[in-house]
This record gives sequence, structure tokens and C-alpha cells, in this order.
Amino acid sequence: MKNKNPKIILSVFSILVGVLLASQIKLQVELIVPVTIRSLQETQNEINQINNEIIELNNIVMQKEEELKVLEGILEDDRKIEDILLEDLKYNMAIFGKTPLEGPGIEIVMYDNIDTIIEGFDINDYIIHDVDILNVLNDLKIAGAEAISINDQRVISTSEIKCGGPIIRINGRSIATPFVIKAIGDPKLLMASVNAPGTYGDTLRSVFAIGFEPEAKDKVAIPAYAGNFSYKYAKSVEEGD
Amino acid sequence: MFFALIGILIGAVIGFLLPYTYNSAYSLYVSVAILACLDSIFGGIRANLENNFSIQIFLSGFFGNSVLAAFLAYIGDQLGVPLYYAAIVTFGGRIFDNFAAIRRIWLRKRKSNE
Repeated sequence: MKNKNPKIILSVFSILVGVLLASQIKLQVELIVPVTIRSLQETQNEINQINNEIIELNNIVMQKEEELKVLEGILEDDRKIEDILLEDLKYNMAIFGKTPLEGPGIEIVMYDNIDTIIEGFDINDYIIHDVDILNVLNDLKIAGAEAISINDQRVISTSEIKCGGPIIRINGRSIATPFVIKAIGDPKLLMASVNAPGTYGDTLRSVFAIGFEPEAKDKVAIPAYAGNFSYKYAKSVEEGD
Repeated sequence: MFFALIGILIGAVIGFLLPYTYNSAYSLYVSVAILACLDSIFGGIRANLENNFSIQIFLSGFFGNSVLAAFLAYIGDQLGVPLYYAAIVTFGGRIFDNFAAIRRIWLRKRKSNE
């Protein structure tokens, strides 16, 4: 009896454990992970991102509502559809660079080091390269330049800036020093982006002694893009409604 | 050993067949309690093999340990410290200890039978 009793008791309680186990498995709880500060922050970031997305989507909704209003105006015959399409065309031309623009901005004159005596090892340090122009352009774009031209060549999204020995090629044309970069935007911001200590333009001037003269102007005129441009490979994707 | 395994299997079948479940908020406490119960079962098997099984010790361990483990987990939740780790480490370690003892006794028995 003494030998058999524990086995029965153990079996009975094993059954109890089995029942508990099974009911636990039946619940199918997800793995319990303690909440760490890091996971809290991650969740917070996610929430912020989603909130930003919501704001953006709301903006889109507002934009579309405005568009709808315009279209409803056409229905009510307040304005003709041609006018709206012309306006649209004008706007798109301006965006693409087919319209001459003017406004406040800055004008930068860049030329090679004019010292006759070269102090240094490499003459390449004393002339302007395509990379220098590209960096200055990028700084201007970061500072919010709305339109840029180099020696009256409008910089558009497909404009290349290529080294061609002593000259630089842009929009398929060759230009030489001095380079005159014009940009329309907030003159103060644009000036700061190329003139402040530590910027690329300032380094060019103070370290490499390259001519770099930015000047803020109330009125900068930027010509239209002169070349022809048409898509050969790219096809527009129809926007799904 | 085997009767306990069979018992757990029978219990699992019963548990799956039973329609009752508990609130999933308690799942952490129950899982820690299950660990404590398993430890008691292993301890009981070991004691049985060593011929010093006592019902009182077994029952008090079975219920006392599981309640204490669940209580620790609950307190830990309230304090924001994962105290149930203590139960997991202790009972997990003891299960392996007991299993090691059971293995030794069992293998020794087999050897002497041969």
C-alpha cells in the first residue's frame, strides 16, 4: 500500500498539471516581453510617424477638395476650362524651367585663382572643378533656392555638370570661367549657405584662394531652359483613383 | 516517471476537451504556477524512487510553491520588476536537478537488474 499510494497521488496531480498546461496552450498567448524603455521609445516613434502621415494625408485631402472646388466652378460656368488648363500649363512650365523667372536672390561669381605664383603642389587645387560647382549648387538647393542658372544656363532636373578640361559643360553647352551662378530664393538664407564659415564656398575662397564672390540682390533674372526635352524611355504612370 | 507522463498526457487531453478557460490576463501567473507544479511532480517522483515520499510534503509543496510563484509574479507586476524570473530560475533549475537524480536512480536500478 505504501508503495502504491504515491504513484496514484502523483498521477492524479500530473493530470491536474496537464489540465493547466492544456488550458494555457489553448489560450495561445503571445510571448510576454517585459516593457523596456527602448521598446517604449520605439512605440512612441511609430506613433509620431503615423501621426505625421495622418497630417500629410489630411493635407492631400484638403488639396483635392480645392481641386474639386475648381472643377465645380467649371460646372457652374464661372470660368472656362481653357483658362484653368492654361493656368496649369503656365505653372507646369514654370516648374520645369521653360519660363524666365525673376525675384530676390543671390549672384555668385566664381573664377580660378588669379595669383601668378602657384604656392603648392598641385595646380588642380587652384582651378574650379565641376565638383565645386555641384557642391555650391547643392548648398543653394538645401537653402531653398527656387531657380538656379549658371552663366545663363538654366539648371533643371536633368541638367548635367561635367568637367571638360578648362571648361564646364552644362545642358550640352560649354561654359568657361568666370562662372556666374544666379539663384532665386531667400537672399539671407542663400548667402548664409555659401558664405558662412565652414561652408563649401567659404572653404574654396579661404583655403584654395579661388575667386568666390557671392552678392545678395533684390532682383535676379533667370532665363528659361533653352534646350528641348522629351521623354524617350520614361512613361508616366496613371495615378490611381 | 511514466505514470506521471501518462497522467500529464491524460490531463492535457481533458484540458483540451474541457470548454473552460480563464482570463488571458492571468496567463503569466498560471504559467509560473505550472512550472512550480511540474517541479513538485518531479520532486515527488524522485522521493518515490528514493522511498521517502510523504504526502504532506508533496501536497504542501505542490500548492504552496505554485501559489508563491504566482504571487511573486503578481507582486513583480505591481512593482514593475520581473520577479517571476526568480521562480523560473529556481524551479527550472530544480526540475533539472530532480530529473538528474531520477535518471541516476533509474539507470542504477537497471544496471543492478542486469
